[in-house]
Amino acid sequence: MATGALISFTLNTLCAVVALLTSYYAYRVNRLVANQVVGAISLGFMLLGIGLAVDAGTALVSGQTLVESLHPRVIVLLSAATYLTVQMVAYLVIAIGYARAAYGGQAKTAVPAVLVGAGAVGLYRFSLLSYFVVLILLAFVVFQGLLLHSGQKNRFSSAVLLAFGLILVAHVVLLASVITLGPLLFLIGTGIQFLGFLSLLIFVVRSEVVGPR
Amino acid sequence: MAQGEKQRSVLRINLDILNAVRDEGDAKPTHILYKANLSHERLVKYLDDLTAKGLIEMKQDGENRTYNLTTKGVSFLIEMRRAESFVQGFGLAI
Repeated sequence: MATGALISFTLNTLCAVVALLTSYYAYRVNRLVANQVVGAISLGFMLLGIGLAVDAGTALVSGQTLVESLHPRVIVLLSAATYLTVQMVAYLVIAIGYARAAYGGQAKTAVPAVLVGAGAVGLYRFSLLSYFVVLILLAFVVFQGLLLHSGQKNRFSSAVLLAFGLILVAHVVLLASVITLGPLLFLIGTGIQFLGFLSLLIFVVRSEVVGPR
Repeated sequence: MAQGEKQRSVLRINLDILNAVRDEGDAKPTHILYKANLSHERLVKYLDDLTAKGLIEMKQDGENRTYNLTTKGVSFLIEMRRAESFVQGFGLAI
């Protein structure tokens, strides 16, 4: 297996574990508090975990990173498209959860529009579109987080804000890697994304073990 | 997302009552009422609910009634503190 694919496999596997752990913990919390945004976080991170696991599995089986699979050798077309779709839906679910809490129910109409748009184009364009949409969704979540973090009540934890911020930066780099078809940029983006999930893991462990200060 | 400005949820009120009972220990209804910021009628209803769920227990000594957390109530509060920490981390409130 090529080094790039090995790194991609390792980091995405770890990210998938953290995402699924976050999803499970959010599910447990939601059973207690019955909050629709927590439900969206649980579902979103579950989808994200599955998507990351699919991408990790693709790298393992094909020996290629996602960006390398965008070249004409399209052996892993289906799994790459699956990962991109699931990732986009995952962030969409999280962002819609926040949007519905902030602005009411109208936000859910964005889901079919994005999916129809995504399905109408090829993998390369779909990758561009997917990373771009995820970028916008993450920017929305980070913006909401910044607003809450600077407010008086219901503060976003610094660790969660840092996590979403790093995942946002990662997707800027990942989008650039898709535009330039640069494997190195893709690995850097994957690495930054891993740091984001690491920050999320620190938050989840801290809230599980320590509880509120 | 500014849920802190909204009316308290039932869960939030129950938590406020449980926290008041925990903080007082042998908590009198008037103290709980003051700490949980409830009318007497609503407090009685919530105390009955929590007693029925086995989260608090009432002790009657003559005319005096006091409340304490049960073991189940202590466990529930610990779970809820963790849940609250998680929820607050995402900028939300219970």
